[in-house]
Amino acid sequence: MTRVALLLASVAVATAMPATAQNRSATTNMPVIGSAPQICVLQPPRLAPGAQTNFRGLSGETLQIDQMVDSTTLATNAASASVQFDAVCSFPHRLRLESQNNGLWRTSELPPTPSAGFTYAVPYRAEVSWAGVNTALDADALSRRVAERGVTIDRPGAGTLELRIEIQQGASNVRANAPVIAGYYGDTLRIVLEPQ
Amino acid sequence: MTHSLILAAGAFVALTAGSAAAQSATDTKSFAVVGNVPALCSGGTIVGTGSTFDLGVLIDTTTGLLRTDLAAPPKVLTGSFCSSRSTITVNATPMAAQNFTAAPPAGFSRTVDYTATASGWTATAATFATGAGSNPGAIQTRPTAFSGDINVSIGTFATNGGSGLRLVSDTSYLGLVTVTLAVAN
Repeated sequence: MTRVALLLASVAVATAMPATAQNRSATTNMPVIGSAPQICVLQPPRLAPGAQTNFRGLSGETLQIDQMVDSTTLATNAASASVQFDAVCSFPHRLRLESQNNGLWRTSELPPTPSAGFTYAVPYRAEVSWAGVNTALDADALSRRVAERGVTIDRPGAGTLELRIEIQQGASNVRANAPVIAGYYGDTLRIVLEPQ
Repeated sequence: MTHSLILAAGAFVALTAGSAAAQSATDTKSFAVVGNVPALCSGGTIVGTGSTFDLGVLIDTTTGLLRTDLAAPPKVLTGSFCSSRSTITVNATPMAAQNFTAAPPAGFSRTVDYTATASGWTATAATFATGAGSNPGAIQTRPTAFSGDINVSIGTFATNGGSGLRLVSDTSYLGLVTVTLAVAN
């Protein structure tokens, strides 16, 4: 009688255990990870259609002025051109314009002193529109130096960066409409997208 | 104390009966031994290099656009079993930038969609596309008990909002694939 009672008890225990330990479902989690590094990219430039005056066009990364001076007054001719770059910066960044010479300066060998009354450097203005921000660098040609202008952009940007170069009629580093000394004039303008 | 008295009484009855039973042929008693096997499922363990799908750098660094060659080795769940009719369900959340949580600016996205697939358990693999409005194929039913491997893979990556959008920079994009085995009713 006692043994029977024990057997029944063990069956009851065996029945009860799975009821508490069973798993009617099982879930496995698998994370998916990746990263997007900080990048700033400027694609090669292209001339904006119909946006140039007195420029021969864009050759690679060179903009060449067609007629730099008026043939009768020798004063600087007005010129303008717009250049576009496809660009992206995937994080808050800074746009910097840098003129290597602060104007168009003669690249040929300079005489000891420029002739009085003659223009020996030509100022210009560079305007940039990017990511909803407009800024400009006035390269005034008053001294030959690096000139720069920076603007902080507190968000990522993607799309077209537009650069407009503008030379005023009669622009001079001496006085307006002063005749320009003969020579080859040039400047290097850098557009930099960089971390803040 | 009470219990001892009852046992003693029982022994006395047995002894009395023993002398009477010596004149019977046989005596049989039957005892039922019963048990049950509850329906249960086990998800198994992941083979190899952990449970994480690591896609590395998500973008083409020359354009900022989502890479078109994104891939990650599949994961194998081994030792999975269900002891009765079961369902397998795959669910997934998009990969989202974890630090850049604001609304992305124009031209950008902070989310990558993909499709997660769990195959090997049912004739038709369970699939879940994070960019889809509904995923009727995310749950599949197996009519019989089964034990075997489950292959889990991800693919068909796409920038949420359109392929022309760039991904905002972020050191951590994170999504989650969940595979669930369950006893079917």
